[in-house]
Amino acid sequence: MKRSFKDDFNMMAMLLIPIAVAVNLVGFQLANVLRLPIFLDTIGTILVGVIAGPWVALLAGLITNLINAIFNPVYLPYALTSMAIGVGAGYLSKYGFFKKIPKTIVAGVIITFIAVIISAPITVLVFGGATGNTSSLITATFLASGQQLWTAVFSSSFITEVADKVASVLIVYFIVKGMSDRYLSKMNYGHLYMKRNNKK
Amino acid sequence: MKQNILLQLHPLTKFYFSLFILVIVLIIPGYSFAFAIFPVLVLIAVFAGVSKEFLSIVLKALLSVLIIVFIMQMFFYPGDHVLWNWGIFSIKQEGVDYGLLLTSRILAIGSSFILFFRMTEVRDFVKSLEDKGLPPMGAYVVLSTLQIIPEMKRQANTIMEAQKTRGVETEGSLLIRAKAFIPTLTPLILSSIAGTEERAITLESRAFSAPVKKTSLHQLTKSNVDRVLPIVYVLIIVGLLVWRFFL
Repeated sequence: MKRSFKDDFNMMAMLLIPIAVAVNLVGFQLANVLRLPIFLDTIGTILVGVIAGPWVALLAGLITNLINAIFNPVYLPYALTSMAIGVGAGYLSKYGFFKKIPKTIVAGVIITFIAVIISAPITVLVFGGATGNTSSLITATFLASGQQLWTAVFSSSFITEVADKVASVLIVYFIVKGMSDRYLSKMNYGHLYMKRNNKK
Repeated sequence: MKQNILLQLHPLTKFYFSLFILVIVLIIPGYSFAFAIFPVLVLIAVFAGVSKEFLSIVLKALLSVLIIVFIMQMFFYPGDHVLWNWGIFSIKQEGVDYGLLLTSRILAIGSSFILFFRMTEVRDFVKSLEDKGLPPMGAYVVLSTLQIIPEMKRQANTIMEAQKTRGVETEGSLLIRAKAFIPTLTPLILSSIAGTEERAITLESRAFSAPVKKTSLHQLTKSNVDRVLPIVYVLIIVGLLVWRFFL
């Protein structure tokens, strides 16, 4: 199906953005409350990418980081990462990556690569290699063992991100499975996940 | 209520001020100038009457980052002038200098944005962007996001309590805690999504997506100061650029 850039931004998709942003923040808060070792703060962005397409997800990622930045400006440069994750999830969904669990896990790994490739340069150039989250400790360990700064930042953020992103995409997979056909039919990429369609 | 001159400024004037700080901190070399910006920002915060919130957020958001960034540079930045040595750890002069430079910039830029959001209502800022050409839909999305976040946080707690009563465990080993995540998040997302249809109908029944100019109840005014200040910022930046690169 051919669609233009503007078609992605219909009313239902735009109304999904506030929910996606809130899901990102609530996911992070829940992961904190349950003391999980991962962040789970991109579930909303990925979800929007999967059912509403890359450009809506880009916007959702951007707004998430802008709102986080109101209270902590450290998040501001990482808006680029969130936006890239959204676009990545959108394109992966377009090519049918979220239909079955194995492919979903592959999508999670691809999203991890996207996140690391975009966020590592930000960490190195803006913050000199560490921002004080869990991966900073691993970065410091790598550096102390004699690795170069770039490799240390890339590998430490990959280690912390991969579990986080794979868990996030799996959660998104189950949430999309739980959505009604009635709602999915109103979303741009929803037809890919409608149960009636798949039975054919 | 007493009117405060600083708070009365147009949101964009204040926003340009934060951008102005960002640019001048990056233009001027060395860390002493960037560190000197911070007391100026504190002074502005005091005049605007927001110093308490400003300082507490700076402490909460930036202090740990600054300390960690500084320590990282101190130990791991490559250099020859070793100041102190213990096993594999050594502090180098270059590392201390670079650490001070990075932290001074993060402090100045970060706190200028924190100050901006303490002095400006997000509502006013979004309205000023709308006046500049942001589509009303974008403005609606940002504002309704701000509204929906506390609502959904409350709802998440309610759902978690409810799941606890029906036996979902939220304490114990990592696996048990992880298992509690999905039964909390899924109902939250599905129920919030159900609400979007109603909101779409409500908005459409008020002709939200009609292609006409909308009138707004909320209006912003620009004073003379708001017209002059951005020009002053640009002049200072141009002056600094000339000084830095041509003199």
